[in-house]
Amino acid sequence: MSASAMGNVPEEPPGSLLRRIAWHWRYDEKRELWIGWWTLVVFYNLYGLLFFVITRTQPPPEPSLGSSEVVEWFADRRHGLVYGYAIVFIVGGATAIMNATLAYSMRRMSVSRAFAYSYLVIYALATLPGMLIMGVACTVGAMRPDRDPELMRWLYDFAFLSFEGTMGVFLVGSLVWMLAVLLDENGVFPKWFGYLNLCNALTEVVVAPAWIFKSGAFAWNGTIAWWINMGVFVTYTIVFLTLLRRMILREDFGTGPLPDLSPGRAPAPSGLLKAAR
Amino acid sequence: MTTGADTERLFPEGEIRTVSGGAAQPARFVPGQPDMWVFVFFEALVFTAYFTVYIVSRSRSPDLFLKSQAHLNLRVGVFNTLVLLASSWAVARSVQAARERSFRSALTNAFLTLFFGFVFLVSKVLEWAAEIGQGFTFTTDEFFSFYYFLTAIHFIHLLIGFIVLTVAVYQLWSPARRSQEVIETCATYWHTIDFLWVLIFALLYVMR
Repeated sequence: MSASAMGNVPEEPPGSLLRRIAWHWRYDEKRELWIGWWTLVVFYNLYGLLFFVITRTQPPPEPSLGSSEVVEWFADRRHGLVYGYAIVFIVGGATAIMNATLAYSMRRMSVSRAFAYSYLVIYALATLPGMLIMGVACTVGAMRPDRDPELMRWLYDFAFLSFEGTMGVFLVGSLVWMLAVLLDENGVFPKWFGYLNLCNALTEVVVAPAWIFKSGAFAWNGTIAWWINMGVFVTYTIVFLTLLRRMILREDFGTGPLPDLSPGRAPAPSGLLKAAR
Repeated sequence: MTTGADTERLFPEGEIRTVSGGAAQPARFVPGQPDMWVFVFFEALVFTAYFTVYIVSRSRSPDLFLKSQAHLNLRVGVFNTLVLLASSWAVARSVQAARERSFRSALTNAFLTLFFGFVFLVSKVLEWAAEIGQGFTFTTDEFFSFYYFLTAIHFIHLLIGFIVLTVAVYQLWSPARRSQEVIETCATYWHTIDFLWVLIFALLYVMR
């Protein structure tokens, strides 16, 4: 497609990545969707880096530590906790963009808007048990090392139980997305992704025993309550990121079924490009 | 037009295709939505992981597991297994009847499946109540933790199964619906519940 045929919208320039990014920023009408998608990708990578490497709060430590061991635990990773969670508090607002992108997929479906709205509300709430409460509790523990060791142990329990043991919001969120995908007639996502949401929701249930056990497979660091659950969550996240990317590529900003993305064929020109012709 | 060597088959969505006898190809389609098989595969993987953790834990404390296992009522376990197998049989008959467009029979068998599922549900709740009454709870020991965990997560699958079977009944009820694909998808889910139970039964009640 020549630039002249497309009116005043020039073709995407070949060559350097920066020039291509500049072109997309200027002319791509899916710009906001791509910003949302890249926010998801960057956030999840950052989330992994902050929780697993910098704060070293994942994989979770032993739930059965005594008060003096908990004080040592906070002291050992003091800087990681303070700086790591400072970044978490700064980037935490990015979840709004992420949730909006996920909810957009439901708005593009043939189902009621109530699904997207429910999902937005649930996941806005999920930010609290998903990271903020744990971040606050760990930062308090790291910044006030002189407090009573029993209080430190209380903070430790509060941090990990709020993070590992409160999966209800994620469970309902997955079920909302599942229902939307299964009822959708626009083919935004394949139906198997609806069923995968059910698998994810079911693994959210199995973390509940973490409230009861301090050791073994069902404790907050246990093979069933954490490792298997995390394996399912990572798989689920990779799948929905891939499917969201595909949805954006297929997006035609219409209201009917999403067009297919045939192999070797560029997606149909979108509204802006059509209008420019 | 069909010849004597030709056969008719009812495919998903009620479409009848003629399969030529001379060029007969073996039937190559999965029952119901292929998407549901992703669920079956993924759940099989997750449960395999749970079973592996159970077997590893058992191998670390074989005496404790054997001693606690002896408190389970094997007869109730066998009864529950037979009831779920009967429910699978009924749902398979329902699918077969729907393929043959005998929707009355299909509906009867779907209700029969619901009935067997309900019998299992009541039996399981009574079994739990009896065990708790004897003082064997979720926190009694490692064996009972696994016992309650595995049977409870299966129970949640069963509860979802009732919703799924209701969808099948809804489909079969009106001539305006009757999507063969949806009916088979529901049956696939129900068979998964049965399949998982047989493995849970073997691991918890039978394996020594």
